[in-house]
Amino acid sequence: MRVFLLWWYGDGWAAVAKSFNRRTANVAQVFSVNQLLSTLFAPWRRIITYPGASLEEKFRAWTDNIFSRTIGFVIRLFVLLTALIMTIFIAILTLIELIIWPLLPLGIIGGVVAGLLW
Amino acid sequence: MVGLLDLASDRAYTARLAKRLSRQSYLASLSLGFIALAGAVIVAVNGHTRYSFFFISLALLFLVPAIWWKRYLNVLPIKGNGLTERLSAEVLANIDPKKELTPQVLWASLEKSWQTGFIYHHLLLSSEVVSLCIEHLDKSTIKSALDIAAVIADGVGSKLIEPGFVAAGLMLNSKDLGALLLEQKSKLEDIKTVSVWLGRNLVEFGDREKQKFGGIGRDWAFGYTPLLNKFGLNLSQSIMKDQIHFGWLTASRGVLAIEAALENHSRALAVIGQVGVGKTSNVYALAQRLIEGKTSGDLAFHELVMINATDIVSNVRRPGDIEYIMISLANEAAHAGHIILFLDDAEAFLTEGTGSFDGAKILQSIIGAGSVPIILALTPNGFQTIKARNPALASQITPIVLNEFSETDTLHVLEDTAVGLENKNKVLIAYEALTASYSLSGRYSSDEAYPGKAISLLSRSIPYSQGSVITRASIEAAVEDMYGVKVGSAHPAEAEELLNLEDRIHQQMINQDQAVSVVANALRRARAGVTNPHRPVGSFLFLGPTGVGKTELAKALASTYFKSVDNMIRLDMSEYQNPSDLNRLLSDGTNETKSLILSVRQKPFSVVLLDEIEKAHPSILNLLLQILDEGSLSDSQGRSVSFKDCVIIATSNAGAQSIRKRIEFNENINDFHDELIEELIKHNDFKPELINRFDEVVIFRPLQPDELARVVMLMLKEVNQTLSQQNITVSLTEAAINKIVEKGYDPTFGARPMRRVLQKAVEDTIAKKILSGEIKPGTNTNLDASDLTI
Repeated sequence: MRVFLLWWYGDGWAAVAKSFNRRTANVAQVFSVNQLLSTLFAPWRRIITYPGASLEEKFRAWTDNIFSRTIGFVIRLFVLLTALIMTIFIAILTLIELIIWPLLPLGIIGGVVAGLLW
Repeated sequence: MVGLLDLASDRAYTARLAKRLSRQSYLASLSLGFIALAGAVIVAVNGHTRYSFFFISLALLFLVPAIWWKRYLNVLPIKGNGLTERLSAEVLANIDPKKELTPQVLWASLEKSWQTGFIYHHLLLSSEVVSLCIEHLDKSTIKSALDIAAVIADGVGSKLIEPGFVAAGLMLNSKDLGALLLEQKSKLEDIKTVSVWLGRNLVEFGDREKQKFGGIGRDWAFGYTPLLNKFGLNLSQSIMKDQIHFGWLTASRGVLAIEAALENHSRALAVIGQVGVGKTSNVYALAQRLIEGKTSGDLAFHELVMINATDIVSNVRRPGDIEYIMISLANEAAHAGHIILFLDDAEAFLTEGTGSFDGAKILQSIIGAGSVPIILALTPNGFQTIKARNPALASQITPIVLNEFSETDTLHVLEDTAVGLENKNKVLIAYEALTASYSLSGRYSSDEAYPGKAISLLSRSIPYSQGSVITRASIEAAVEDMYGVKVGSAHPAEAEELLNLEDRIHQQMINQDQAVSVVANALRRARAGVTNPHRPVGSFLFLGPTGVGKTELAKALASTYFKSVDNMIRLDMSEYQNPSDLNRLLSDGTNETKSLILSVRQKPFSVVLLDEIEKAHPSILNLLLQILDEGSLSDSQGRSVSFKDCVIIATSNAGAQSIRKRIEFNENINDFHDELIEELIKHNDFKPELINRFDEVVIFRPLQPDELARVVMLMLKEVNQTLSQQNITVSLTEAAINKIVEKGYDPTFGARPMRRVLQKAVEDTIAKKILSGEIKPGTNTNLDASDLTI
C-alpha cells in the first residue's frame, strides 16, 4: 500500500502533468505543425512545365501556382487551427485529470460513505 | 539486503508484485471496473442514486489498481543509477528474497528468459550444459557478473540492465564454459560479443517503435512527381511502406558525410567505393534519416528517388527521348522541391551509355543547371574514368569516398543481416557462422569489398543449414561448393586419403620417394591447419634432369588430392622471357585467356606448375616472390587473387648435369643437396631470395633401369584403360618391356620418349591386329618383343 500511495500521489500524479507535453508533441507531429508553419504561403502541390513548353503553358502554370498558394494557405491554416483546437482540448483534459487523479483512490471509500449517507 | 542487490527494496518488491498481478489480472480488473461503472449509470438512470455510489466505489476499486498496473507496475521505470534500480524487473521478480543470493539462484532467475536463450543458442550451447557450468561458480562471482552486465548495458546505450546481460556476466565468469567454447573453436569473449549483439537489437527495436515520418502535412508544400513515380524508385516511400530500418548505419561516417555535403549545397555528389562497400545502403540510410526528419531544417523530409537508367532506355522509342526524359525528371524533381535524385551504378550510364546516347553530356547539363541535388554511386575506377574523359564534369562533383568496413563494423552488419535471415528462413545463425563468413569471404571473394562479400556468403549458406542451424561448417560447405576449395576440417575419408597420399601418388609415378614424401607432408600440414594460412599450401622447386618425373608428380598430385588433372595450371616459363610478358600473366582475362590470374581465379584450388622456371625474365621471378610471400597477386585492374589454396611447383633442369654425375658416383641426394643449391646460386641460376622462399627444394634423381620397366607398366595401364572400352587387354612379356625401355630411354631426355615409343610399339601393333581381325573384343593379348613394331 505504501508503494502504491507513494506512486499515486508522487510520480503518478506528476506523470499526468508531464503527459501534456507528450500529447501536444504528438499532435504537433501528426498535424506537421512545424512544416505547415514554415510553408504556410507555399503553393499547394506545385505545377510545373516540362522542357519545350509554350509561353502560354508557362503562363498558365504561373497563374495556377498563384491560385495554388491561396488554396495551400487555406488548407494549412485549417489544419493548424485543428491542431490548436486539439491542443486546447488536451490541455482541458489534462487539467481535469490532474484534479480528479488524487480523488480516485479516495472515491473508493467516498462512494461507500456517500451511498450510506444518501 | 544481499550485497549488491537490495531484494527488500521497493523496486524489488514491486517487481515481484507485478509478476503476481499478471496482464490477465489487469484485463480482468479493467473489465470489471467498466462493468461496475456501467452499472452505476444504469442504476442512477433508474433513480437509485444511493446504489449508484456503491457501484462507483466498486468501479474505482477495480479501475485504480488497473491504472497502477498499466502505468507503473508494467513498466517499472528506472529511478537512479544503482544496480537494483537499473536491473530488469524480470530478473528482480524471479529471485526468491528468502534464499541466499548465489550465482545458481541468480541463474535460475534468468534461465528461462528468451534473452538468455538468444546467447547460448547463438553460441551453440544448451541450457543444461550452461547450467552445469554455472553450478561450479562461487558466490564471489556475482559482483563481477553484475558489473559486466552494467558495462554491457552502458556499451549499447541501455539504461536498463537486461536479463541477457546478467546471464552473459555469469557465463563470462565460468572457466568451464571457457574451456568448452575453446573446444568448439570459439572464445569466452564471444559471450560478450553475442550479448552486445542482443543489446543492440533491443535498443534498435525500441528506436523502431519510436519511428515517425512527419505527419499528414509533410508533403503538402512539395510538387507532384508523376514522371519520377514512373521511372524512379522512391527509397523514402519504400522505407515508410516496408518499415525498413538501417539502425546504426544512419549515423555512420559515410551517411553523415553525404548529409553534410548536401547541407553545404553540393548539387552533385559521388559516393565512391568498391562493389560491396555499401554505397546503395548508405544512400538508403540517408533516406531514412531525412524522412524521419533527423536532420537540419533544410533537408528534413526530403525524399530520395533512385533513377534506373536501364528502365528509361527500355521505355523509349528513340535515343533522343532519353535526354528529354532525364532532363524532365530533373526538372520535375527541382520543382517538387523535396527530391534528391540517386543514380545507382552511374558508371554504366556515364562511361558507356546504355545505348546510343551520351550519358555524361546529359548529366553535365543537369548538374550545370544546379537545380536538383543528385547523388551518383561510382567505383573508384569509374570516377577515375570520368575524370580522365570529362574533367569538366568531374570538377563539378563532390567525391565522398566510402572505405571498406573494418572487421568490427562488418560483424555488426552481419549481426543485423543474420536477424533478418533468421526471421525470413526460420533458421538459427550461430555466431561462429558470422565470423566464418567474414574470414572466408575475405579469403576467397576478391571481387567484392566488405561488408558486401560477407553478407553474400552468409546469405548463400542458408541452404547448407544443418537441422535449421547455420554453423561454421555450413559456411565452409558453401565456400567449398562456390569456389571448389577445401576449407573445413578433413572428414574421416579425406584424412585417410591424406595419410596414405604417398601410396596413392605412387600408383601414378615410380619412385622419387623423397619428392613424393615432401609434397605429401606439405598437404597434410595444410589440411591439419598447422601452416601459415596467408601463404600457398605448399611451394616447391623441383630440380633434376628431364624425364625423371617432375611434371608427373605435379600431375599425380592434381589427379589424387586435387581430384582431377584439370586442376593443374601449367605455364611454360620459357614463354615469359621478356618484361612485356608480365602483362600476359597479370591480365584480368579480358585480352589474355591464358593469364595466370584468370586461371587461379577460376580454379583457386589447384596445382600451379611453372615449368622451366629458370628461363623466365627476372621481373617475372619477382612476381613469384610476391606469390610465395603473401599468397596473393593483383591483376592489371588492381583486384587481388588468392594463391593460398594452391600448391606452387616450379621445375628446373638447372644443375641436371651435376645431379647426374653425382648419382653416377653413387652420391646420396641428401648429401649433396645443400652443395648443389649453393652451386646454383653461385652460377646465377637462381637468386638466393627466390630459393629461400620455397618450402622445399627437391632433387629428382635419374631413373634406374628397373624403375624404367615399372614406368612402362604404368603407361601400359593407361593404354589398357583406353582399350577397355573395346573389352581388350594387352600385356607385355619381359623381353617386350626391355625392348621398350631400351628404345624409350634417352640419357638426355630420361623417360620422356618412353610414352612415344610405347604408343608406336603397342598401340600401332594392336591397331593393326584389331583391323586385321586377329584381336577380337573380350580377348587378352600378350605381346612379345618380336610383335612390337619399333
